[in-house]
Amino acid sequence: MLIDRLADDLQPVRSVGPRLGRGTLLWLTLSAVYVAVMTALIGPLRPGAMEQLVTHPRFLAECLAGVLAIAVLARVGFRSAIPGALSRRALAIAAGLTLLWLLNYVVGFVSPALEPSMLGKRPHCYLETLVLGLPPALAAVYWQHKLFPLRPLLSAALIGLAAGLLPALYMQIACMYAPGHILMWHILPGVLVACLAPLALVPGLLRRG
Amino acid sequence: MSSAQAGNEADYRQLLSELSTVVNRYLVSRFGGYEFTEDCVQEVLIAVHEARHTYDPRKQFRPWLFAIVRHKTIDAIRRQKARENQQAQHCLAEEPSVSDASLYAEVSGGRLIAALSPAHREAITLTKILGYTAAEAASRLEISESAMKVRIHRAIARLRKLMEKEAL
Repeated sequence: MLIDRLADDLQPVRSVGPRLGRGTLLWLTLSAVYVAVMTALIGPLRPGAMEQLVTHPRFLAECLAGVLAIAVLARVGFRSAIPGALSRRALAIAAGLTLLWLLNYVVGFVSPALEPSMLGKRPHCYLETLVLGLPPALAAVYWQHKLFPLRPLLSAALIGLAAGLLPALYMQIACMYAPGHILMWHILPGVLVACLAPLALVPGLLRRG
Repeated sequence: MSSAQAGNEADYRQLLSELSTVVNRYLVSRFGGYEFTEDCVQEVLIAVHEARHTYDPRKQFRPWLFAIVRHKTIDAIRRQKARENQQAQHCLAEEPSVSDASLYAEVSGGRLIAALSPAHREAITLTKILGYTAAEAASRLEISESAMKVRIHRAIARLRKLMEKEAL
């Protein structure tokens, strides 16, 4: 009988619930460090970018909005891999914060946070964003797989978005500042990571038939 | 569940037995007592077993459990293949004159099935409960096969929404 079989198979387990917040924070920190180190290794940051964070409060607010949106997306992404842990409200808040952050760049076409300039332009910023976003995304999808995602494709896409937007946000400091360039060459490749992350599940889905 | 997470086999056995009854009642009251409810209960128990490390003892058990139940139920309905269903065969071969209305009245016992629109209810009842293929069901209702597939898809989406609404 199934119940007997499952009871016989019982092994003590540690609940991941209380550790999920710490795990998310660890993933975010490691991913941010990885992105910062790799970006610095590939090329220099935009000259004066750090000073601009202090001297231009709106630029700082734009960056902080990005950090907040990514942190909430990561939280939602990992919670979506636990049955019943993700509410529609939390999903709506994550979507709202992300859109609010991106809206800054749209507003930037009329009133930019910084004077648009080609200073610090990296030749392959779109490729860097894409490539740097993938390893954190794959690590996160692997961790999600260890939880119990009821909708694995959605969970992978959510965490992929957080992972892809992380280097996209860092390019704000590392690459040139111009709203059009940011949306096209930083944000778009970041969003592409969200589309690619669910592909990591394909081998497993094929194995299950 | 907390006790089961700690490895207490007796408590776990009791929990699974109780869950089996609770989930079975839940499914029968909402979808009627069909073969798929038994399969569904088993799938829920297996999922509970595999997901037990994700339950947070500081939180309520019910939302965690019913998220699994809802997902497994919709999954089971979606995967329910047209098969050589005895009831369908019986209706086709032995009682060709049986009316659709009496057929649906006989099988559509669950309240979620009853809450669907007539077109969606027909689609789900014929394909997922009685076991007709989409083509057979389409020909019975005199619509195209693609229209039937759209109806089935929408009916399943509606069932998911109804179940989520119930959980709120």
